[in-house]
Amino acid sequence: MVYLLHLRNDVRQIVREPVMLILLLAPLLIIALFRALILFLVPFLEAKTGLDLLFWSPYILSFVLLMIPGLLGIVTGFMLIDDRDGNITELYSVTPMGRRMYLVNRFSLTAILSFVYTYIAYYVLQLFEVPFVTLFFLALLLSSESVIIALLLFKGADDKVKGLTYAKGLNFLSIFAFADLFSLKWFSVISYLFPSYWISFIIINSTMPLSYIASLVVHLLWLVPLVRMKK
Amino acid sequence: MRVVNAFFSDMLFMFKQGFFTVYVIVIGIYSVILSFLPDDIAPMATALTVFSDPSVLGLFFIGGVIMLEKGQGVLYVLVTTPLRSREYLLSKILALTVLALLSSFAIAVMSTHVRVNWLLFALSVALTSSFFTMCGVIISASCRNVNEYMLRMVPYMILFVLPCFSLLGFPFSWLFLAIPSVAALKLLLGAYSGISPMLAASLLLYLALLSYLLFRFTLRVFERKIVFND
Repeated sequence: MVYLLHLRNDVRQIVREPVMLILLLAPLLIIALFRALILFLVPFLEAKTGLDLLFWSPYILSFVLLMIPGLLGIVTGFMLIDDRDGNITELYSVTPMGRRMYLVNRFSLTAILSFVYTYIAYYVLQLFEVPFVTLFFLALLLSSESVIIALLLFKGADDKVKGLTYAKGLNFLSIFAFADLFSLKWFSVISYLFPSYWISFIIINSTMPLSYIASLVVHLLWLVPLVRMKK
Repeated sequence: MRVVNAFFSDMLFMFKQGFFTVYVIVIGIYSVILSFLPDDIAPMATALTVFSDPSVLGLFFIGGVIMLEKGQGVLYVLVTTPLRSREYLLSKILALTVLALLSSFAIAVMSTHVRVNWLLFALSVALTSSFFTMCGVIISASCRNVNEYMLRMVPYMILFVLPCFSLLGFPFSWLFLAIPSVAALKLLLGAYSGISPMLAASLLLYLALLSYLLFRFTLRVFERKIVFND
């Protein structure tokens, strides 16, 4: 009950605070921007240079899908860093809700939004066909990815500047989604360890049951230690 | 002398905060990607990469630096030290520009083996970096937290990045050269593909003049809104 009350207050805070509202709408802006690029820039580039970007549709879809949890995770991470700087995190630890539920609350909002935006991005972009079950699984993985990114930022960065440095580095995690494009065996093998690799892998190989298990294991291997880490 | 000391302490701060470490990783990733591109695309792709990341790193980082120093109260005691606001800003801009230059050169050297006009390359990166760092100071003046800063960066990015597509060429697209980011990108591309000396000199002069005017404006905003919290 306390959890629901706090979640409701969080949603209210987001609606009242224009900055937060716009930040949470930013994924929609990204989706719209990419839709516009597909509509206008792709044919323009093809006409000018003969390069058809849509040849890499599954990778473009992976990139946009990965941008959403990346953005939401970083926003949540900075919200938590701000709360920590203002000792709000400590304050919650002496309330009935406790520090743990406060963090669950913050992360659940990010995860839910990531889940919803995955569907929106997929249906708006219409880049590559993915079975319904696969899309549901992808949405779940991307939700957990937003939490992973928020936790990496929150637990890794001591202050805002370090947070920005980490955010810069975290942005590059999506490079592993394109590992197979480089045709370098060692790079692909390293990429197996990163959650982002499995997003594009599942999009391209949606009929391979083993890829679902492997991707789930990799995501859990990142998520569980981060959740249990004390800081 | 005060600027030199401030500059070295800013470089040390950036080192401690991991700016250099993260850019070593960034350089490595970009170099791997760029080395896979065909020889006819690689030089242009390198110029675009340098322009879109290391050249504008100041915009990304300066907000956090100012927000942190504001939170720690460093900026409010600035008035009681011999260091002037002008020197404080200059040292921050210089430190971030040096990082931008080092990373840009590293990416350029490791990615392609074509002839590059290094002087033009260095000047365009330095002018782009200082311009965007000053934009960052102006944006951070009215922000309360990093999330707000990142949000306010978006209109600036749209304003300065979207017109760069004009370099693809269409009737009257040369008019867009008045936008500093377009002029800087034109110079950077020119460092690889060649540019007439007259056009390069005019654009460099134009960007230098804009940077000077922007520095004066940034200083005013910084003193009013950040130091004296007007």
